[in-house]
Amino acid sequence: MVDGNAGSEGSKKGITRRRFTLGMLLASIAGAFGSLFTLLKVLAPEKKGGGYAATIKPGDGLVYAQGGNAGAPIMASSMKAGDAVLAYPTGKSSNPANLVQLIKLEEKAFMPPTDISLTDQGFVAYSAICTHLGCTVSWMANQESPTASFTECYCHNSIFNPAQGAKVMGGPAPIPLAQIGVKVMQDGTLAFTSDFNGPIGPQV
Amino acid sequence: MVFKWFDERLELRKFKEKFLSKTFPTHPTFLLGETALFSFITLVATGVFLGFLYEPSTTMVSLFGAMVPAAYASVVRLDLLPMGLVIRRIHHWSAMIMIAAILAHLLRIYFTASYQKPREINWLVGLSLWGMAMVAAFTGYLLPYSQFSVTATSIAYYMAKSVPWVGDWISRLLFAGDFPSDGTVPRFFFMHVMLIPTVLVGLIGLHMLILVKQKHTEPRSNRNRKEAQGGRRLIGIPIWPEQAVISLSFFLFLLFVVVMMATYIPLNPIETYGPPSPGTPVMRPDWYFLVVYGFLKLVPGDLSFSFLGGKITPETIGGVIFPAFTFVVYALIPFLDRSKDPQHYMENPLHRPFMTSLGIGGIVFLCMMVVAGYIDVLHITAKAMMVAAILATALSWGISYTFLRWYNRKRGGNVKD
Repeated sequence: MVDGNAGSEGSKKGITRRRFTLGMLLASIAGAFGSLFTLLKVLAPEKKGGGYAATIKPGDGLVYAQGGNAGAPIMASSMKAGDAVLAYPTGKSSNPANLVQLIKLEEKAFMPPTDISLTDQGFVAYSAICTHLGCTVSWMANQESPTASFTECYCHNSIFNPAQGAKVMGGPAPIPLAQIGVKVMQDGTLAFTSDFNGPIGPQV
Repeated sequence: MVFKWFDERLELRKFKEKFLSKTFPTHPTFLLGETALFSFITLVATGVFLGFLYEPSTTMVSLFGAMVPAAYASVVRLDLLPMGLVIRRIHHWSAMIMIAAILAHLLRIYFTASYQKPREINWLVGLSLWGMAMVAAFTGYLLPYSQFSVTATSIAYYMAKSVPWVGDWISRLLFAGDFPSDGTVPRFFFMHVMLIPTVLVGLIGLHMLILVKQKHTEPRSNRNRKEAQGGRRLIGIPIWPEQAVISLSFFLFLLFVVVMMATYIPLNPIETYGPPSPGTPVMRPDWYFLVVYGFLKLVPGDLSFSFLGGKITPETIGGVIFPAFTFVVYALIPFLDRSKDPQHYMENPLHRPFMTSLGIGGIVFLCMMVVAGYIDVLHITAKAMMVAAILATALSWGISYTFLRWYNRKRGGNVKD
């Protein structure tokens, strides 16, 4: 086979066979590796793979979410005006979206846009997941004036007014905490009466 | 005799003559990179031990009567084993030391202008190593799955989400779905144990290969000791046996320090933090993230706007744009402070007024950002902190620059600006 001037191919103008073949080879390698990028989409699961999706049903009882008596039913008599606890529906505490803040104020303290039909004997409940970035909200109790107590998130200082439908009074939260209906039962425990009346969790 | 056995099979004699007698210049600060390397080796060794015992799952299991995630239970049980707690603490302390050593090493390279031609590539490799080390530390932090782990991870999740245009997709890719998701722990385990160490080993190999090829920079005093022209013959000590002995002793000393710290200084007490619980604890990130944390505290909470179809929120500005900007600035340094000829000697920081004062200003700014992370306990408003940070940075930069210019004028030597 004649080897000859193989090296001088580079001086030719235009598309030579060598350049064409090389170009096709590179293009097909690039294409093959480029198609791997579609795998990245597969690796990012769709929204079903997580997120905040509450599973509270009317009739579920309220139990303490943390502390020594976690899992025990909350007795209405144990709370006075100005108290708040974190609560879960009975048996559904593994779903973090179900976390609720149960608050006792006075019936006359509630103002719009609180949904009065979802309250009972001064008890009101809101989602405990801050709508800013998902931290659990805390309770700022006011000893002198219990009905002036409010909900605050320590992470970035969002403030919600429980007497006004957990309206955002300050801080970076974009929407109020969703309200959920509660009712005092015959035996003194509490139960949910509805689902959340709005979106819960961070709105990003 | 053992050497002869291997030599007959692997031609070790040639390797010894060619490589092991290579010269290694000496300077105290040359141990910083080694500290990072030896910490990494310790991390891998202790990590192997931990990996044998860790369970990467969030399934609820029974632990002393309570139901907790399996990952948390496996680490609690590991802590109870003989040597278990100490090895986990050595792992965590070595990670802290590695990142601190990387930062100190970066500062040494910066202030002595060792990033100049031909070492720009290694500077970029080093920056990548720094970034990867922090990602390794972050992914590792989730694995014990304590209350603090989950909170820290949720913060990073929302930061990933705040990247405009692709944030949603990036966050679901890295965290295996929307937070909170059961897929996050297995995915982080894979990244922390397989993906990132592989990348780290590759980058470290590349870093050292380039170092051997280009030869280590030398102290300026070496230049004065030989002719101004002439080849690149280094003044130093041979790798074997002198440098090897120094490095080995240093490794053992580092091990001693780390084991002492692990024995007497507890950290990441997951038994105290407890498994993930409904409430959100008041916590701050580990020290190497405090700069971003502090910066974020200063960004106004309502600063949100749209840009080319993507949403820019305070999290984007503090958690994505600020760190990315810092990395880009670092990466550009060797291309801005250029030199035409290859440089192989360390510069004296005092003879470089602009770069040194810029470095000092930068360090002061980053320290102020760490302080900014504590404005809630210090009772300082964000605005006051911002003013203080800008003032401190400008003042330290200005004063150091003025002083260095005056000093160099007095010295009468070359003012490298």
